[in-house]
Amino acid sequence: MGKQQKPLKRKLSEATFKGEKSKESESSQDSEEEDLLKDQIIEDESSDSEAEIDESDLDSSDNEDNEFAEEESEEDSDDLSSADNSEDENDSDAEDEDEEDSDNSEDENKIGQESGGPISSESNTKQIENEDELQNSSHSQKHKSKAKKSHEKQVTSVDEYAEDTSDEEDIRNTVGNIPKNWYDDYKHLGYDWDGKQIVKPETGDHLDEFLKRMEDPNFWRTVKDPQTGQNVILSDEDITLIKRIKAQKIPDVSFDEYAPWIEWFTSQVEKMPIRNFPEHKRSFLPSKSEARKVSKMVHALKMGWIKSREEQKKIRAKKEPEFYMLWNTDDQADEMRRIHKHISAPKRLLPGHAESYNPPPEYLFDAKEMKDWNKQKNTPWKRKLHFVPQKFDSLRKVPAYPRFIKERFLRCLDLYLCPRAIKMKLNIEPESLVPKLPSPRDLQPFPTVLAIEYKGHTDMVRTISTDKNGQYLLSGSDDCTIKIWEVNTGRCLKTIKTDSIVRCVEWCPNSALSLILVATGNEVLLINPAVGDFLVTNKTDEVLKEVPHSDVIISDRIKTTVQWCEPEQELFDRGVRAQLKHFKMVTQVTWHGKGDYFGSVMPDGQSRSVLISQISKRRSQLPFAKSKGLVQCILFHPTKPFLFVATQRHVRIYDLIKQSQVKKLLTNSKWISTMAVHPGGDNLLVGTYDRKMLWFDLDLSTKPYQTLRLHGTAVRGVAFHKRYPLFASGSDDRSLIISHGMVYNDLLQNPLIVPLKRLEDHKSFNDFGIFGVHFHPLQPWVFSSGADGTIKLYSN
Amino acid sequence: MQSSKESQLQIRLITTQEIYAVPDVPLTVPSTIDIKALNQLLNELIKESNPDFLKPKEYDFLAVGEIIRLPLAEHLQEHNVSTESTIDIEYIERIPAPEPEDSILHDDWVSSIETTDKWILSGSYDHSVSIWTSHGKPVAFVKNHTEMVKGVTWISKSDITKGFVSVSHDQSGIIWEWKEGTKEVTPKIHLRGHERGIDSVGVSPDSTKLATGGWDTNLKLWSASLEVDDSGEPSTKKLRGLGKGIYTRVPLHTLNGHKETISAINWIDNHTVCTASMDHTIKFWDCELYGIKNEIIDQKAFLSASWSPLSNTLLATSADRHIRLYDPRSNEGSICKSMFTSHVLWVSCVTWSKYDEHLFLSGSYDSTVKLWDTRSPKAPLYNLQGHEGQVLAVDWSNNKYILSGGTDNSIHIFKNNVLH
Repeated sequence: MGKQQKPLKRKLSEATFKGEKSKESESSQDSEEEDLLKDQIIEDESSDSEAEIDESDLDSSDNEDNEFAEEESEEDSDDLSSADNSEDENDSDAEDEDEEDSDNSEDENKIGQESGGPISSESNTKQIENEDELQNSSHSQKHKSKAKKSHEKQVTSVDEYAEDTSDEEDIRNTVGNIPKNWYDDYKHLGYDWDGKQIVKPETGDHLDEFLKRMEDPNFWRTVKDPQTGQNVILSDEDITLIKRIKAQKIPDVSFDEYAPWIEWFTSQVEKMPIRNFPEHKRSFLPSKSEARKVSKMVHALKMGWIKSREEQKKIRAKKEPEFYMLWNTDDQADEMRRIHKHISAPKRLLPGHAESYNPPPEYLFDAKEMKDWNKQKNTPWKRKLHFVPQKFDSLRKVPAYPRFIKERFLRCLDLYLCPRAIKMKLNIEPESLVPKLPSPRDLQPFPTVLAIEYKGHTDMVRTISTDKNGQYLLSGSDDCTIKIWEVNTGRCLKTIKTDSIVRCVEWCPNSALSLILVATGNEVLLINPAVGDFLVTNKTDEVLKEVPHSDVIISDRIKTTVQWCEPEQELFDRGVRAQLKHFKMVTQVTWHGKGDYFGSVMPDGQSRSVLISQISKRRSQLPFAKSKGLVQCILFHPTKPFLFVATQRHVRIYDLIKQSQVKKLLTNSKWISTMAVHPGGDNLLVGTYDRKMLWFDLDLSTKPYQTLRLHGTAVRGVAFHKRYPLFASGSDDRSLIISHGMVYNDLLQNPLIVPLKRLEDHKSFNDFGIFGVHFHPLQPWVFSSGADGTIKLYSN
Repeated sequence: MQSSKESQLQIRLITTQEIYAVPDVPLTVPSTIDIKALNQLLNELIKESNPDFLKPKEYDFLAVGEIIRLPLAEHLQEHNVSTESTIDIEYIERIPAPEPEDSILHDDWVSSIETTDKWILSGSYDHSVSIWTSHGKPVAFVKNHTEMVKGVTWISKSDITKGFVSVSHDQSGIIWEWKEGTKEVTPKIHLRGHERGIDSVGVSPDSTKLATGGWDTNLKLWSASLEVDDSGEPSTKKLRGLGKGIYTRVPLHTLNGHKETISAINWIDNHTVCTASMDHTIKFWDCELYGIKNEIIDQKAFLSASWSPLSNTLLATSADRHIRLYDPRSNEGSICKSMFTSHVLWVSCVTWSKYDEHLFLSGSYDSTVKLWDTRSPKAPLYNLQGHEGQVLAVDWSNNKYILSGGTDNSIHIFKNNVLH
């Protein structure tokens, strides 16, 4: 609409004021018709300021006219009447269309017709009054077309198509829609189509104007075209049109306001609805989506995401003005685009005197310096200067620097290939990688000081054991004796001679039996040490006296392996109650937790190397049919019917009831020496000849949970404490190492292993250090037996 | 340092021993003054005030409740005492050094000793009990036990006729009757009831009851009288070598509560026994209600203990090198009042002086016997050397003699010159 509206206005003004202009006449009949159509579409909106102003101008001129008109001569009135006539003609033309015109206009017309000249001025004033009334009238469609018609009549001779067909723009003056007063100071008004100035027409002075006013009968209907500065004399049609507009009539005379009503759509209320179905339910229900939107907004308001205008205003008022650095680089270092934390390249040193083309003589090389220079030919980086200072008479004589390109290239390489950025270096201190272990001080009690030495053996003490109360200590030595000591004082209570060196001793875990198990040579001896409770000692003797007779036939395989013998009198006096003669040397014996079964190991026994014997039935069994390797050590599980068998490299766990292998532990070491099982039964400590100690968590995996390399040489003895979370290991490097080994009941928590204390009191003997390690059963004390023939007790 | 050397201290010498009293006048001494100088000063003062003064004596000086060992200023600094005010220094006549007097040789380790005014009773690892005169002459020797004797004690030190008792690792004890001064020692009553070796024995102050404890962890109470009541029956032949007329006695009561060996028994009064055990506890038993009255729990296994009726405190040694002083009645702070550390190995035995509330003896596996004053916890008064092995027993029942026995098979007698 806007597009159409604007040209229309223009046209209106044109039509109103410039009817006579030759350029105005270009608009054709066809275009008029089109305009008409357009005008119909435009309704009341077309009251525009331009038209109003022009009209008011017109009014004022009219008023002036009137003042003069009363004094004017007949000519004027004639002219007027002729104009009226012409109006009448127009009216009469229009009468066909609207018969019932307003009374006023009719009256005017009549007056005009009847009164003729003199009255015409009156009518004129009336007209003008009417025009005043018309001032705010907004209808302008029709009068435009009329104006056009009048143009036609006036300027028919001009070919409207000659120059331009465009009626959209006013092309007489190309300056465009600008305030005309801009050109007030100039001689011209603007530029025509050819770029030539449109010169303001000559305007006479006030006298000329006055004369004109007096003389020119058309003066009252002469207006000035602001576009061209020409005076235009309005035609009768124009006048009529203006009058009609002022009278708030429809400008088009021919328009019938009261034409019969055509009922395109019925105005009656129909009885039947057009759509014969009820309104949908949703039209009665409040919209959910809208409710959602509203609730969202309410929520946002509540949360403060949306601010009401008042709030925004407050915030804005509160906010201090934000200033920012216009030039960023003023306070910040230039950031390289790709290189983070760039360090700019160091600036090159300024050239010194030596680099001058005319250096002071002291900078020039003398013979010695030159010699040095030449000497360092192969090691140029050692030279003090990288060039020889040279002297030239003038700068003109300085030759081109031969290394220029190369040096510049190297410098570029230096800068380009080695971007100087701060390198983020992970600064890891080696201490922080060591796992955080609790301080040994917090893990007390554990044995720390040598308390008692048990002296008496004359050779290496290979093995030690204690009774269940911790009253007595048992030791077996290479001097072919077993000794029993009082723990608290270090007194040797008993010495029992054996026939060969003692390799293993162990006190019976059953407190109802006073028995010790001794492996010496090819024999395993069951000895009653006769210390402690008399009743128990006597009862043990009685029990062992009765040899149970069983009808079970012993297989040859077992018979050839072991023979149960009643001890001879001489042996019996020493305390031996039963003698098991094995076919090979026995290196280790171990009790089952209940003290009825015991196991013995003969490493050279091939498939018969492990033997399990039962005291109550005096019977032996060979649990394995095949040899799995050189058996080093066997142990019974403290609670379950499991047997741990350590061969040279592996530890196998057998279920004795199901007679199957449960697990095979991979030690990843060359030679196992010994092992100890945690009293809970789920952890196994293995000592090896290759200096390692391996802690196996049987719940975790078949690989060691932790490998402890605490010793410098072969580990010979390991032991767990029965009550305290302690374990100890003795090695050939004479050191006894006490460690904290906490096993948690919580299955998710891995054992905590902390080495606590290294105790080195034994003397070395034949490169052997410590053999046996044994904990006191109740106190946090540890015994160690060494190759130096002593046993030491360490207490806390 | 220059200034501290020159600095002066105000002291006042006081004493509780009237014969050595000096005028109560504040003295100004250099702060670095040591015992030697103090001694000189004191002797001068006594000389001035006391016309009967014969010859200078040695004194010990106490400041802030402790015997001064270091220069005075350092001693005060250690106790955080201001040197601004006048310091009261108490002095006492120094206990003269015990003189080694004699040595009694046994056949085996000496496990226990007890003395009266005239006699020495000792038990040995060779299963024997012997009686000696206080000068070391053998009087009687009996060997009725079948295992090592671990404890011996007189039933009444004033009345020898009440006999003595010995306990042994043969799980029994014997009450002996001895005709004073003769060889005639007859086992009277055989105490049977323990299941393992007996380690310790104690007689009640009124000499009517015995308490024994050992490896079976039970504390057993016995009647200590030599008279045989009807309940006792003649001993059967089970005990070899015991003659006729020996009666077997069963315990009056068995108190169990310890988890490990009872290593020391002390009677506090006629109704209370205090036992120290290897299970890290000291328990106080009520012998009328037969229950535990009080308990001290520590970190180490106790090896011996001694109760002083003079100061009502208990000394105990554990399987380390410290001697601890406990005040079982104390409510505030820790029960352990002080710690005496000078031994380097386990302290196997400790005993109070029966006459001085500050003095006690201790014997250790480091083969030394030490004489201590409780007011001097850092260092003992004297080191009594002479043993060549572990010291197993010390005794100071007779104020004149300090005895110690050990694994060098001998009892060493030191003469104590302090007379009370």
